[in-house]
Amino acid sequence: MRRLLKWAAGVIGLLLVGAFVALSFLAGSPKEVYGMLRYALPHMHRGTLLVGSDAPDARLVGLDGTSHFHIRERTGARPLVLVFGSFT
Amino acid sequence: MGDVIQIYEDYKNHADFLTVYVREAHPTDEWQMKSNVKDDVCYAQPKTLEQRVTIANDFAKRFKYPLPFGIDDMSNAANDAYAAWPERIYIIDESGHIAYRGGIGPFNYKPAEAREWLAARYGTVKHEAQPAAAAK
Repeated sequence: MRRLLKWAAGVIGLLLVGAFVALSFLAGSPKEVYGMLRYALPHMHRGTLLVGSDAPDARLVGLDGTSHFHIRERTGARPLVLVFGSFT
Repeated sequence: MGDVIQIYEDYKNHADFLTVYVREAHPTDEWQMKSNVKDDVCYAQPKTLEQRVTIANDFAKRFKYPLPFGIDDMSNAANDAYAAWPERIYIIDESGHIAYRGGIGPFNYKPAEAREWLAARYGTVKHEAQPAAAAK
């Protein structure tokens, strides 16, 4: 039984190493894989919104840093194209 | 970014647009990309709203970004509500419902799909490319 567990652990370890090497090759370097696993994957979510869902509201800050408005204030008259992103 | 600006220029007479600035995707203290160093886009992940507003202003000024702009606050409420990070596009119709849900960037971020939605509704519109749109 113990021998079987050792084999299983060895195979899993080899698979993980193989996956890391393959991802490093695809991403360009091990550093990129680490960055993706450490910083990107925890923040990437498909979310629960679907076409037809009520659009959620949220309060946003203006570029002046002091004014505020709600997404909902911009909806109703015409379709609203929401573009999410950042500088980096 | 150029694609989005061009869509805005083409359809701003038919639809409203709003850019929502969310947490940084590749800050210097997390997963920085070589391309960001090359393009001199090097910022740490903001810890305060003031820092996020400063970076958003740098972005808007550097690219003369013409779209209306809003910044997600440090609770990341808009980002969480729309599962938007690192980049994503939605279209909300006049009744307040999601009419188009784009994929998660960078691989499934496809402004052309939003353009198709607008074109299906308002017809194909194509103006001359704006100088700011050609910047990147």
